[in-house]
Amino acid sequence: MPETDNKIPLDWDALEVGETFEKFEYVLTQEMIDCYREGVMDPEASFPTIAHKVDVRQYNAKYTDDGSVNARCAFHCYNPPVAGRKLTVTAWIADKYLRRGKNYIVTEAVSVDEDGRLIDRVITHELKQPSEVGKKWGG
Amino acid sequence: MVGPVRNIQIDDDVPSLVKEMTQDAINLFEGSAGQEGPSQFTDEDAARETLGTSGTVASGRMSLTFAIEMLRIYFGGDVFNHSGVVDLRFLRPVRPGDTITFTGKVSDMSKDANGSKVTVDIQAQNQNEDTTGVGKGSAIVPNAYLPQEE
Repeated sequence: MPETDNKIPLDWDALEVGETFEKFEYVLTQEMIDCYREGVMDPEASFPTIAHKVDVRQYNAKYTDDGSVNARCAFHCYNPPVAGRKLTVTAWIADKYLRRGKNYIVTEAVSVDEDGRLIDRVITHELKQPSEVGKKWGG
Repeated sequence: MVGPVRNIQIDDDVPSLVKEMTQDAINLFEGSAGQEGPSQFTDEDAARETLGTSGTVASGRMSLTFAIEMLRIYFGGDVFNHSGVVDLRFLRPVRPGDTITFTGKVSDMSKDANGSKVTVDIQAQNQNEDTTGVGKGSAIVPNAYLPQEE
């Protein structure tokens, strides 16, 4: 788990749409790709970046909250990433909304590799009251 | 390079994709990104505390991945991996032991600057025929891949 000492408790009302997080960089290794492909049971799965959840990584590094549940996710494929290349991710708060009394945050991220190739775009709607899952769907 | 011609029509069914969800698969998916430590996906106690469920659930991103696989196979990687989009809403949890069937139907075709945008309605159902996810996917199919107009 990341450190929580310096994290800011989420104030949903104060959260600003458009807030852009510090860029995040990582190297996608062949081991990561192999592990992902085994997990999704698809030897040709081309976008292991999905599992890295990069759209919420920097949000989670900055803010602390009660957790979240993924309510909706969109993924745009541009170019499959290549093992061994460094990826740079830019992520931001794309939207927030209240629906049926529940708070949602929409994060968006774009990944680019070290050669400047656009890799993918991911947009995620997270419900910030995760205990609703248990209330609605039980054990 | 031009691939095989795709004779795509509105209302065409996309070949379905069936996935057996296991805890091992979930653990590999989460672990592939170096995510360590207990989470609602990998640890029952964490799931109980965070979600209020008795067991773990799979990340919605796994369902997203499966929908992407279904459309990649349908359109071909040469097309889908460079223009594909999937937008999925998660309606029910997917748990270890579930069998999820992804289906799709072509719902729209429209001209695009780089070919034709083909849109597919996507549905995911578990073994009880409960819908776990719905959404849309699309890809831009180059004109060279489509039958020539008369």
